[in-house]
Order: sequence, then structure tokens, then C-alpha cells
Amino acid sequence: MKLRLSPQTLLVLDAFLEQVEDWKYGYDLSRITGLKSGTLYPILMRMAERKLLETQWEQGEPGKPPRHMYRFTPDGLRYARANARANSSGGLGQVALGLVEA
Amino acid sequence: MGAPRKLAAALLRGVLRLAPVESRDWALAMLRELDFIEGEWPALFWALSGAAAILRHAASAWRKWLKRKTGEETGMNDTGKKVLGVGLGILSALALVGCALAGLRIISILFPGLEHSLWVYWLAVLAIPETIFVAATVMLWRKRGPVAAGILAMVLVVAMHVAVHLTLHR
Repeated sequence: MKLRLSPQTLLVLDAFLEQVEDWKYGYDLSRITGLKSGTLYPILMRMAERKLLETQWEQGEPGKPPRHMYRFTPDGLRYARANARANSSGGLGQVALGLVEA
Repeated sequence: MGAPRKLAAALLRGVLRLAPVESRDWALAMLRELDFIEGEWPALFWALSGAAAILRHAASAWRKWLKRKTGEETGMNDTGKKVLGVGLGILSALALVGCALAGLRIISILFPGLEHSLWVYWLAVLAIPETIFVAATVMLWRKRGPVAAGILAMVLVVAMHVAVHLTLHR
């Protein structure tokens, strides 16, 4: 298994599965999933270490500091499609029902 | 920019300076996101939670490095491991003292004037750290004796420091 599929990880995988081509920002992911930065970023770090996620610094307007962006690699997308949806009735359902702390 | 947001930015900048190379991009990513967080207190909570994550990541890298160094391939003997354990205990205790002083600084920024209160000072710098030291020593004594001994050494140093301070300023 590439990644420990905790309910929080499943939430992140699910967030990335919405509009998979789009780059996503950390704060937006935090709002979508409801995870704190201290929970979200370690998951992103592990996903990036396992080459499931590609990261990039946004080339913004001059004078504006760049933001870090994330999206699935082809491997990540395959992995997420195989795991996130399959587990959604278990892990994600539990989070949604408040049975597991998000 | 309010005090909580300033503190959040300062905290993440500090973490960025201290973070090992492999965590730096992530610390910078959290710092950049700070500009987009609505609200002063959510920004501070974002920074606190993120800083803890980076420190955990750094600690994990450090543990792996230490494990490699103390592994059998280095041939470190029992005495060497014990000395390393005591050093680790002292370092952990010093880190806690640093956190206590940082906590006092945070109190002074968020609630100006409160840090001069004697009770707050004794609680943040003495009572809480000493309680944690003693609890850690008791919990670690059987499984990680040398680390517990290192922490105990710091308990004694802090206690002596307080005793000298009280004697001189009576």
C-alpha cells in the first residue's frame, strides 16, 4: 500500500479528485476538507514524497509572492481513483457522520 | 495587520529559518498561504498548527538520522549510547525551557503587561515546565533511563537556579 488511508487522507484524495486537472492551493484544500494545516500538510508531504502529487510554485504577477500549488501525478490519480471512491462509504462516511475526528 | 497575524507570520518565518532543507518548501508554502486566510485568529491557528507539523517532520528526519548514527554499523558501544541518551534528555528539556520562554513572549504580545504578573511568570517558566520534566522522567525511567537522567539533570539545574535567584533577591 502506498499511503495509509486514514479518513483524513481520504478527504484529501477526494478533494483532489474534484477537477483533477486544476492546481490546488493549501488553504483552499484546508477549507474544502475542513482539515487544519497541521493535519493537511503532513498528508501533502507524504503524497509528494511518494510521487502521488506534483508541486509547483505559482508564477504570479511581479511583486506578488508565489503560492505553492498541488495536483495529482498520473500515478496519484490512478491511486486515488482506485482507493478514495472505494473507501468513501467507509472512511469518508464516518467523518461526515462525525464518527471519526477530521 | 493585527497582533495575531503578525505573530503568525513571525512564527512561520522562524520555523522556516530552523527547518531542515527538506521541510523548507512546505514551511514557505504555509507562510505564503497566510496572506489569503481571512481573520486574524484563524491565521494564528493556521501558523501554530503548521509550525507543529513542520517541527514533527523535522523531528522525524532527525530521529532517522540519529537511528542511523547509533545503529550497529557505527559500532557505538553502550557507554556511547548512554551519553547520547543523556544529551538527548538535556536537549529535550532545554527545548521545553525555550518553548516556555517563547510562550511568555507570545503572552506579552497578545496580552501586553500580563507577562509582568508574577503568577503568569512562575506558571509559564517554572510550574508547567517542571511538572512536564517530572512527569517525563517518571514515564521514561524504565524504558529510556539515560534520557530520563538527562531530563532529571535539567530539573536539578532549574531548581538550583530558582533557589539561587530566591536567595539573592529575597
